[in-house]
Amino acid sequence: MDLFTNIGLASAELFSFTTMALMMLGTLVGLLAGAIPGFTIAMAVVLVLPFTFAMSPVQGLATMIAVYVGGLSGGLMSGILTGIPGTPSSVATTFDGYPMAKAGKAGLALGIGVWSSFFGGIIASIVLILIAPQLALIGLEFQPVDFFALVIFALTVTASLAGNEMLKGLMGALFGLLIATIGSDVVFGLPRFTFGIDEVSKGFAFLPVLVGLFAFSRLLNDVRDPSSASKRLGGEQSANVVQIDYIASAKVVLSHWTNVVRSSLLGVFVGVLPAAGSTISNILAYDQAKKASKEPETFGKGAIDGIIAPEAANNATAGGALIVMMALGLPGDIMTAIMLGALLIHDVIPSPSFISDEPTIAYSIFLAFFIANFMMLFLQSITLRGFVMVTKVKMYMLTAVILFYCAVGIFALNNIGYDMWTLFIFGVLGFVMRALGFPIVPIVLGVVLGQIAETRLSQVFARGDGLDVFLTRPWALFFILLSGFSIMFPSFQKHLGKKRWTRFFLPILLIVLSLPVFMMPGYIRPVIAGLMLITGIVQLILRLREPALKLDQAPTT
Amino acid sequence: MRLNRDTAIAIVSLLICGALLVSTFQMPAPMFNQMPATLWPRMIIGPLAILSLILLVKAQLSEADDSTPIRSFSDWFSYYKNPIYCFALFFLFLVTMPILGMLIGGLLYVFITLNVLGGWSPQLMLRHALVTLFFVVGMWAIFTQLLGVFLPEGILLRVY
Repeated sequence: MDLFTNIGLASAELFSFTTMALMMLGTLVGLLAGAIPGFTIAMAVVLVLPFTFAMSPVQGLATMIAVYVGGLSGGLMSGILTGIPGTPSSVATTFDGYPMAKAGKAGLALGIGVWSSFFGGIIASIVLILIAPQLALIGLEFQPVDFFALVIFALTVTASLAGNEMLKGLMGALFGLLIATIGSDVVFGLPRFTFGIDEVSKGFAFLPVLVGLFAFSRLLNDVRDPSSASKRLGGEQSANVVQIDYIASAKVVLSHWTNVVRSSLLGVFVGVLPAAGSTISNILAYDQAKKASKEPETFGKGAIDGIIAPEAANNATAGGALIVMMALGLPGDIMTAIMLGALLIHDVIPSPSFISDEPTIAYSIFLAFFIANFMMLFLQSITLRGFVMVTKVKMYMLTAVILFYCAVGIFALNNIGYDMWTLFIFGVLGFVMRALGFPIVPIVLGVVLGQIAETRLSQVFARGDGLDVFLTRPWALFFILLSGFSIMFPSFQKHLGKKRWTRFFLPILLIVLSLPVFMMPGYIRPVIAGLMLITGIVQLILRLREPALKLDQAPTT
Repeated sequence: MRLNRDTAIAIVSLLICGALLVSTFQMPAPMFNQMPATLWPRMIIGPLAILSLILLVKAQLSEADDSTPIRSFSDWFSYYKNPIYCFALFFLFLVTMPILGMLIGGLLYVFITLNVLGGWSPQLMLRHALVTLFFVVGMWAIFTQLLGVFLPEGILLRVY
């Protein structure tokens, strides 16, 4: 089926009154969550998930995407009006948004932010619709061994997610994998690590573990300090009534279209990279906009480009992350991990054949992402003042109410009390591990990827493939080699420009990866491999000669 | 041997790895040449044990961090007082669920948690009561009436 037929089928499913109303509500919830400082978008999507159980897969996923898009845009409101970013993805927006608002142009700043978010999202939607199916075609070449190697690569990405605590991040990821092994094995359903407790043989449902580790521990961490628990979320500053001139701000944004397009494409690219997200893309885009600007000295004082770049980039990142999830069935960050969990709850198994097997659901997700941006634009324009009022809620009130909501939502999953106990246990575990310095995201990714990895490994076994397939299958070898570089990447980033070996990292990466690409079928990829090899060798020679040149130029004493 | 936080983490992690590894030997043997149930867990336990050992070595080699205060039990308790109360109240909420049910238990749980975290003055208690009633009853109504979920009603509601 072609693109337009698939879009037509998805439209029939998506454009019902109920689905549109649910998406509108989801966008509103996302905007609300994004506006509240400290309340992450991921937490909002996790909390909305139980409501989607009773919906069809298309309705449920469309609602969650609406929350996601709303959340990405909601952060700009509190960021511009109070100087406190609602989410980490709008940190860079405050650099110029808040100074502009303080200079009496709050309406213009908000208008620019809203329109930039909108255009960023639209550009990402178009890229998503065009790229994801093509990438999925490559994914169809994958055999179980390639999948297993891909999952291993995704796990090594946790090293990047762990920040300064790389060792604990890797331990956390392995710990997450271990959690996924508890219950029964995937081949025969034999009980494993149950220690005589019958209930545990069912294993742990994904959602209670996710909510416990992620939301529960985060909320309790926020109320640990009694004084901060009683503070208002958005600080004590008052946001004055602002009027947004949407037409004027749209004209301003369109007159800076190069920045919009560049930042959006950068956002999509960052989204495609595993472990990178809107937290990174908004700062990267801001930096690029500053470097490209003819007036870099105006940045930090209310520069228009300083608002456009981060807002266009953070919304576009969502599109990039969805490309990988939809095309390869792998989560690159916490948001897509939750989306993947949601797909599994709705009995949809994400894989490279997902787009061709379930075109209606897949294209509904594409379209929902597109439509949600229009809803965000509409809702943000009519409910701005109300969102700022919400940021005046006290943290402890939010915590108490959400903890109860977590219990209700989790119970609704399977209608059994066991899930609530799972939530409690993993809440304690998440809180303790966070307090001990373990990053939580790698643990969650480990839990999500654990069962996928074991299933693929069992398929490798069932086919009777030996271990040598990891070396003879091009894609498997590609991902295994990439995993090695991925583990080293945080170290490379840390020492870039300071240690000699970092200069050879990228050329060696190109040379090494050219081998599996050369082994791939057809003509195009071996040609690409040749280009990679030549580029790598040339770069390597140039870098090797660099110190000699510097020595030559150094003054003799 | 220097005893610090990371040393304790590494030792506990090694103990967990050891216990789980022993447990894998009690699992049934694989059938029909399929993948044994023990393979994947062992593939995880191995690297986890190695990383725990690295953490242990790093913790032993690291210089003592004077910036981290050594807390007495009472200091530690007062530092983590709020989360401990929240967990304890949530535990009681779950334990009493079969008797109180989701609605009554939820009302009590949210109201007490709000007061424990926010304060017990009459004005605050009134505000907390209103917040509790609005959100707990509202959420209960959404799930039971709108989404058709059967939430635990508890022995109390069943009797009366």
